[in-house]
Amino acid sequence: MGRLVRASGFERFLISASALLLSVLIGAVIVLGAGRMTSCETAAYTLAFPGAFVTQFVGGDALFAMGFCYDPIALYDLLFLGALGDILNDPTNGQFATTIAETTILLFTGVAVAVAFRAGIFNIGAQGQLVMGALVTGVVLVYVAPPLAGLGVFAAVILLPLGLLLGAFAGGVYGAVPGALKAYADANEVITTIMLNFVATSIALFFVSREQFFKDPESFANQTVSLPDVAMFPELVFRARDDVSLLALAFGIAVLVGVWYLLRHTSFGYDLRTSGLQPDAAEYGGVDADRTIVSSMTLSGALAGIGGAVYVMMVLGNFQPGVPSYGFDGITVSILAGNNPLGVGFAALLFGILKSGSIVVQVGSDVPPALVGVLRGLIILFVAMPEFFRMAGRKFGSFHQPGEQPVATDGGTGGGVDE
Amino acid sequence: MSSADYVPSASDVRALPERAYDRLFAGRSRVQQSVIAITLAAVLSLVAFGVFAPESTAGRLFAVLTASSTLAATLRLSVPIAFAALGGIFAEKSGVINIGLEGLLIIAAFTGIYATDVTGSVWYGLAGGVVASTLLAALFAVVCIEFRADQIIAGLAVWLIALGLAPFLSSVIYGSKNTDSVATFPTLTDMGIPFVSEFVTWELGFVLDLPVVGVLDLQSSLVGLPFFGALFDAGPPVYLMFAAVALSWYTLNRTAFGRWVKASGENPKALDTAGVNVHRVRYVAVLLSGVLAGVGGAALALGIGQFTGNGPTMVNGKGFIAIVAYLFGNYNPVGALASTMLFAGLDATQLTLQARDVFNVPTELVRTIPYITVIVVLALFGRTRLPSAAGDHYESGEDE
Amino acid sequence: MTQTDTAVRLDAITKRFPGVVANDDVDLAVERGSVHALLGENGAGKTTLMNVLYGLYQPDGGRVVVDGQPREFDSPRDAIDAGVGMIHQHFMLVDTMTVAENIALGNEPRKWGGLAVDSEATRREVVELSDRYGFGVDPDQTVADASVGVQQRVEILKALYRGADVLILDEPTAVLTPQEVEDLFDVLEELTDQGKTVIFITHKLGEAMHAADDVTVLRDGKNVATVDAADTTREELAELMVGREVVLEVESRATDVGDVVLDVDSLSVLDDREVPAVTDVSFAVREGEVFGIAGVDGNGQAELVEAITGLRDPETGDVAFDGRSVTDDSRRERIEDGMAYIPEDRQERGLVMDFDLVENAILGSQHSPSFSSRGTIDWQQSREHADAVVDEYDVRPGNPDARAVSLSGGNQQKFIVGREFERDPRLVVATHPTRGVDIGSQEFIHDRLLELRDEGRGVLLVSSKLDEVQGLSDRLAVMHDGDLMAVVDPDDITEEELGLLMAGEYPEGYEPRDERDAMEVPQ
Repeated sequence: MGRLVRASGFERFLISASALLLSVLIGAVIVLGAGRMTSCETAAYTLAFPGAFVTQFVGGDALFAMGFCYDPIALYDLLFLGALGDILNDPTNGQFATTIAETTILLFTGVAVAVAFRAGIFNIGAQGQLVMGALVTGVVLVYVAPPLAGLGVFAAVILLPLGLLLGAFAGGVYGAVPGALKAYADANEVITTIMLNFVATSIALFFVSREQFFKDPESFANQTVSLPDVAMFPELVFRARDDVSLLALAFGIAVLVGVWYLLRHTSFGYDLRTSGLQPDAAEYGGVDADRTIVSSMTLSGALAGIGGAVYVMMVLGNFQPGVPSYGFDGITVSILAGNNPLGVGFAALLFGILKSGSIVVQVGSDVPPALVGVLRGLIILFVAMPEFFRMAGRKFGSFHQPGEQPVATDGGTGGGVDE
Repeated sequence: MSSADYVPSASDVRALPERAYDRLFAGRSRVQQSVIAITLAAVLSLVAFGVFAPESTAGRLFAVLTASSTLAATLRLSVPIAFAALGGIFAEKSGVINIGLEGLLIIAAFTGIYATDVTGSVWYGLAGGVVASTLLAALFAVVCIEFRADQIIAGLAVWLIALGLAPFLSSVIYGSKNTDSVATFPTLTDMGIPFVSEFVTWELGFVLDLPVVGVLDLQSSLVGLPFFGALFDAGPPVYLMFAAVALSWYTLNRTAFGRWVKASGENPKALDTAGVNVHRVRYVAVLLSGVLAGVGGAALALGIGQFTGNGPTMVNGKGFIAIVAYLFGNYNPVGALASTMLFAGLDATQLTLQARDVFNVPTELVRTIPYITVIVVLALFGRTRLPSAAGDHYESGEDE
Repeated sequence: MTQTDTAVRLDAITKRFPGVVANDDVDLAVERGSVHALLGENGAGKTTLMNVLYGLYQPDGGRVVVDGQPREFDSPRDAIDAGVGMIHQHFMLVDTMTVAENIALGNEPRKWGGLAVDSEATRREVVELSDRYGFGVDPDQTVADASVGVQQRVEILKALYRGADVLILDEPTAVLTPQEVEDLFDVLEELTDQGKTVIFITHKLGEAMHAADDVTVLRDGKNVATVDAADTTREELAELMVGREVVLEVESRATDVGDVVLDVDSLSVLDDREVPAVTDVSFAVREGEVFGIAGVDGNGQAELVEAITGLRDPETGDVAFDGRSVTDDSRRERIEDGMAYIPEDRQERGLVMDFDLVENAILGSQHSPSFSSRGTIDWQQSREHADAVVDEYDVRPGNPDARAVSLSGGNQQKFIVGREFERDPRLVVATHPTRGVDIGSQEFIHDRLLELRDEGRGVLLVSSKLDEVQGLSDRLAVMHDGDLMAVVDPDDITEEELGLLMAGEYPEGYEPRDERDAMEVPQ
């Protein structure tokens, strides 16, 4: 790859890292601010000038001191390190297992959103596609799995791929709908996918809250009958109760590599990327714009649907409405990764840590875990404004700017003067 | 002539039915025409059933639709959507697509409750909601205008920030994602405004005997009128909504600022070279969308007296529906209000249907009706011409 | 024109952009009440200099003097206040607004204490101005519905409405027919007669000599000379502009013409607004000939070409390629059949700006067996192809890993031309193939085009540069308002006759074309 390409990849990495750092800083400010709005017996954190470090030597009191109910440093310690658990002594501890489980599902929604983004489509509907994938996998496997349960390992060999296919099919169809609406009816996909998220939630609730459909008659809660163990991903090195599977993680990583190869090395990937960057050039290059929109949305939906299937077959063991917002986190994961399938791996791990860490925060501090939702939004906001970091970079030293082109003599950017 | 700037003039003396026909059918595709025709036929037959066979299923549906409470609910549900849609019109006309309206509604809804709780006055609460929403809109404006962020992604970020921040703050302050209950806006009859409050409840006490129409019973008060009575007993936000629609229309079509907003969205360079600061116009337009969405969000929460922050929060997609409402209304405030009332009316109907248990309908599926309608409307009538420069960043001169 | 006082003086203006010095120590003095032409090639720095005068750019050195007073313009607003108005090459008009609304934009008269725009006052003033200078514009017309000539007059009115005494026109004739150009020059004369000062930017020698009192020639950002238009010659100006003697080239004509390769039959095409752009056009291109289409931009050439290349569905009519109807074929099928296409807009269509040249080298061939097998792209092949194009067509910098966006316009164009020519095409559709390309590369591209023709391929050449189409074409069609006016022998027609045809009028000796002409191809 050329120097320029690498440079712009490096720049993207810098921007993502700075965005993350800035979000964490602003998150800390919000935590401190929130800490002033609530009340507590003793301050968990004190801002003082001069600080305790100085006053212990020179004596006297701080000139200025303000107490806060929440301690942002302790909070981030819980959030980021807590998610790893006691990883040095027990690498398969429950908290780390949760982190891996969250990461695994985010791999799928993250890459789903990335594929659509690369095609120039905002798939905000990964959430709905994931719900549909999970729903169909859950309700179909309940009927298919029990007769096969006696087959042991062979049942798993049939059921796991079948479950993934079901999820891919349901998610793919649910993604193809807004794709077709965009391609053939010019309906903005941001709106239609968001609407379809609401619809998916209602449809799922409809089917699992009625005994004449798929509700488990023995349960008070709205959920389907549990799947037999053979229809579940094997946990391998982790403990069974931790609901995590290295096999699923490996599958997720394989999917990332597969999608990367698809985008970079196939004619279909070329069509898709061209459509995303410059639709007019794609058309000129013989790409059927409408078909590319529908196929990339179908692929995107299928990937999110697989995420739903994995969620059912690895975490839940049945289908329950009230699916966590993996789809929305997938948007952040993808944007943070610069929509690069391989980058999605790292961004998903980061978000896996955030989500798992928020549980530690809930248990170990008074700070509401909803904070992670705020961080999610802040990260997207900052990644969306590379210009801010370029300006900051210019102010504080030589920040490489490969993204900018020399200005042509007529003042326009890019190549020469067009008459 | 597009409906956006359609102003009936004195020279336009064609018969009303002919004009209505043109408005509905002219220049539309076969599919659109048939959908409009089917909808018209369905509405007319529903009316027919309601009048001649009130006991039939369709007749009972008609009764639900024409209940005064349905109009009341429609008006109440319209408020957040209509305000957000007006805000969206200003922002998008100026060239900034504000997809974060949902986030502005959410933050205003929460702050509206919190400020009311602290100050004890719903009006201060409303003001608090407007301030919060405007601040978030200002952040969005800076990010889009100053730092050239992609407007769609930045808008999503605004939504997600509010979606996280409001429940977070609610948990901090109230210990739960749902806030405590506070006072709500009184309705017109309860407000005790001299003369007005009495006037709407004053019994008119006369009967009109009109030819053709028949006997018109005006014995009751304005509030007591069938169906339309709801118009005279709504909360202040509903009247604010009508005023805001009229003011927005006037601002866009009759003031210099309105023209600048349009020029900024169509051809910012033309505006810039004419000596008007495009950034300033866009800032004002986006801040205005914050103010308007703020009123809508705060009014939504103060209509119920509580902010509920689970899942998609109590706003539940109203900001996105607002976007479709103004697209469907072709950026005309009046058109946006009309389509808002269509979506809100559907929502009100499904709420009434659930409450009255008229038919044995699955509530989960009925709840999706407004969302599916939005998709259908967008697919059939979504080919609105966006302002040419909408979504594009604009930089004056060389500023590289 | 006897006054000698100076309306505008620029002293030692220097303006730099990253990597370029656009204006290098330029002096300029413009007499009040005169027409002053600013002549130079593309990229000579004419527009930049005028943008400095108009306050769009701030100079890095030098000063601007208007009416004898040194001025610093931070924005166009300041320039407007000082009585300087500019009419840009791309009109700065809001299409959806009326003529009067556009003219008043930013200066709307108010009523009711500023709460409303006084539309009546605007209309009155516009009508008055229009009458005084004989413009004849309708204040209530929507700009989108107005002709290009009218839009230009609206731009001039806009400047006058703001009290401009000095009017800058950037390439005002580029979009006009020869007749509209004459009308424009009449308007300019009327303006200077009433005391206004006009500066116009052009790269056409003839216009500068014909319409201006003084001519300043810019080259490479420097003021080369200011001469009196009455005392100079074409040759002198040409030499000043280019910096060397210019020889007009005469191209060879086709010798060996073969079968019809492209047959366009009664084609009608709508534009983006669903308005007919091409009406019932028929013609044929044969192997071994260059078929040229001349015309003012925006007379349906773009839509015609898009319908031929498969980017736009025609309303009616048929396109046959190599004897087979391809009207229902997709763009991709036409590429695979051997139709090469140099698009009008290279930065929108011809290249993916964020791709490097290796990736751009297979745009259009990404599914072809030469670069992919079973859906997988062979990047090694693609790289070799990119290397070959870069070498042969002298694309600089010669690095195939460079992103397209980092290339200059001329080099982008050379890369597209190379990629398309190397497809081994049966037919080349070339629209404005030398636009924005330096003179050396222009000659190279012309030579390659003729080489392809001599190898027996068909060439459809669309260009608004008269010398280019006239010089290269073996048969030349003139397009006006969506219609082919006539197919002529480029050696037998004068520039004036071409001008009339481009304006939609038939000069003596020419008649409306019978559609059968196109069908009966002389063998």
